[in-house]
Amino acid sequence: MVKFLSQEWNNLSKEYILEKLDPEKDLKNMTTSLLAVIEHVPPNDSTMNFYLEIQNGNLTDFTVNIGDKYEEKEAVFTVTGNYGTYKSILKGDMSMAVALLRGRLKLKGSKMQALKLIKPLDGVIVSLKEVTDEFEE
Amino acid sequence: MSLENILEKQNSKYEEAINIAKKGTHCGMCRFDFLGTGLCPSGKKYGFVAYWPQGRMQIFKNLMSGKVKPTKKLIEIVNSCSLCGICDKQCNFATYLRPEKVAKSLKDYTDNLNKNEFQDVPEDEILKGLREIVGEEWASNDPVIISSYIQTIIHPDSELNFYIVMPKSTEEISKIIKFANNHNLPFMPRSGGTLLACATPTVLSKAVCLDQGIIIDLLRLNKLEIDTKSYTATVGAGITAFELQKEAYKHKLRANLAEAGAHVCANIASTGITSTWQNRYGWAADNFTDVRIVDDNGDIKNSSDMDIKNPYTTEGGFTDITLSPPGIITEVTMKLHPIADDEDVVLVPFEHLKDALSMIMKLAQRNVGVSLIVLSRKYLSEFLCPTNQIAKDFEYICEKYLKLNYVVDVIGNKDDKKIVEEMADCIIDKSMIKTLILGAPKLATLKDSEFLKVLSEEKNPSKAIFAGPMRKHLEKGLEASPEQIAKVFDEDLQDFFTKVYSKPEMTDLIWLHSFRILPSRLMRQRLFFAQAGMIWAADQNKILKLIDMLSNVCDKYKLEHMLGFILPMDDGKYAFFEYDYYYNHNDPDAVKRVSQALLETTENCLVMGDILMVLNYLFKGLYRKEHVLYPIPKAISNDERALFRELIESILGEEFKW
Repeated sequence: MVKFLSQEWNNLSKEYILEKLDPEKDLKNMTTSLLAVIEHVPPNDSTMNFYLEIQNGNLTDFTVNIGDKYEEKEAVFTVTGNYGTYKSILKGDMSMAVALLRGRLKLKGSKMQALKLIKPLDGVIVSLKEVTDEFEE
Repeated sequence: MSLENILEKQNSKYEEAINIAKKGTHCGMCRFDFLGTGLCPSGKKYGFVAYWPQGRMQIFKNLMSGKVKPTKKLIEIVNSCSLCGICDKQCNFATYLRPEKVAKSLKDYTDNLNKNEFQDVPEDEILKGLREIVGEEWASNDPVIISSYIQTIIHPDSELNFYIVMPKSTEEISKIIKFANNHNLPFMPRSGGTLLACATPTVLSKAVCLDQGIIIDLLRLNKLEIDTKSYTATVGAGITAFELQKEAYKHKLRANLAEAGAHVCANIASTGITSTWQNRYGWAADNFTDVRIVDDNGDIKNSSDMDIKNPYTTEGGFTDITLSPPGIITEVTMKLHPIADDEDVVLVPFEHLKDALSMIMKLAQRNVGVSLIVLSRKYLSEFLCPTNQIAKDFEYICEKYLKLNYVVDVIGNKDDKKIVEEMADCIIDKSMIKTLILGAPKLATLKDSEFLKVLSEEKNPSKAIFAGPMRKHLEKGLEASPEQIAKVFDEDLQDFFTKVYSKPEMTDLIWLHSFRILPSRLMRQRLFFAQAGMIWAADQNKILKLIDMLSNVCDKYKLEHMLGFILPMDDGKYAFFEYDYYYNHNDPDAVKRVSQALLETTENCLVMGDILMVLNYLFKGLYRKEHVLYPIPKAISNDERALFRELIESILGEEFKW
């Protein structure tokens, strides 16, 4: 297990998605991209993000960055929340849909498109708990 | 002795108190002085819900079920109650319960505990930080105090890993939010808690309850200033609708407000203030001239600031699923309205909804009346009658003998009254309303009497009894007086209730509409869930079809249900409807059925179109109504319907079907 948002976490997550998630069954052959912005990252109260790009159910990019955007590409959706919220989601305590309902995540992008993809995307994010159980306190 | 055995033994000793505590619904009527009794001294001094009667009931329930274990703070909570009996008077009026019996049992239980059994709860770093912001006594991590917030912001199944904080100012709230963000702790404001009390047992709990973190109790923000020159009131987030109206009335002014216990700021944020006055006074951002908000980053803003993005616009549609406020409103400057000298009230009885609807919409479109609503016989009975049984019998008589299923309820000036009288077949006037309020218990005893059987043979029984030759017999027979109605209360409270019902306002429907102390009776020992929304009112047949659909779904799920009311808004272009499902909140099966009905009716409304469901405008009260209501919602497509179901499944789990 590795620390959330570390380079090791990035590498292992990428491997996990490529090896364990089925493009059709788990990723519904979707084509989309998501920028997850994580605010108030301890210990320095910094902002980080990870960018996830999937084409026809295949992972094509997964990058962790510092700041609130990924300079290389623009995501179809941006989901912003604090570190504690992402921690709850990755631990499986709360789904992305519930976090959106509670206003703990803010969504930028087409809501209709996002809702169509929320279930498979939620599945991707939650599956990452298999590689993460270390969080900053 | 095992824990289970201990609990069982306690439960038999305190059976009556446990039953009272379980029937508590957190209507919040014990937190403001609506009967002239004064306030619960303990709640007023200590603030946290734990120190108010509703909190004591919740704590007792939690202790008896083993949800929480005694802490040293419990001793302070128990000792802070002098058993003065104010709570019994207030609660009995609203819910017919005796919370003092619970307070006594809680005292007895605590007095008999071994001192070693009280947990000591140490201060941790988070609590220390919060106390530095608000002061030592206004922040707590004590499980007993936290447990008093169950059902009004905490789900009953949650762990009690929360902090409660009671700030005094906007600046303190800003600091709390920044502190919470720095420690990655979620937070949520809590005001009166009534809306949450109704939603928590249902499927909405996942969206509306806080799962961990910091509860910001806003009760201490109690600024209340009236500016008689500009007809405005500046109100802090701790002020209830009742308290503001009381101040406004002193100046012959009226605020457009929600139910008595609702906090003004929270209600603006949550529903934008739905009231019988809204066709005239407006809805959502029509009600205020300025609001002060602390946003999710802890930054303080005013809607009047020139350099912020348009604060009055919002996204719409069923895909906008956020069920939380856009920030914490800490202060609002409300519009107030002058009260005309010649205001009067009339009720027009109807057998059929379509006729009542037709009349109210005509009045709304012509701007007749300052307060307009169609009330169902269910609401009329629940509001006017002091007990559940009397309300039940009253409603039975309305339906079976009087053919009185709906009333068009109009408050207006003399000219308005004249127009209504000309349009109506018959009216129930102010004097008859007073007779019905004070005479309700006696009327209930006439159920299935010969008098009512004879009356029901009339072509229009309502007309005969309220405005015809039988009126004088009714007035004589009901013996309506404060002494008569007081007899339905426990003997030791009868003198008190004689005095209460002797006050002119208690039988004055205009005052009752303004101060809204009667809707709490809908939460009398059981809960209700309101399926509500706005419907484009051009097609009245569509409104009737909507009500039929809501009724059919509730029948399918075997719920006690009825239309509550319909009220016009925006010059009668829209109609707000509320359809209520009543249920025992202690019965998991009933809760499940309510949740299923809620989802099925929501889906059906989306499919019908022209309807903006409450779930789609909840927490949009800060915005201009024009941005919330328009464009008129289109019926969703089959694809969107499938998406709606998928969304619900992903939130609730695939096992939740309707």
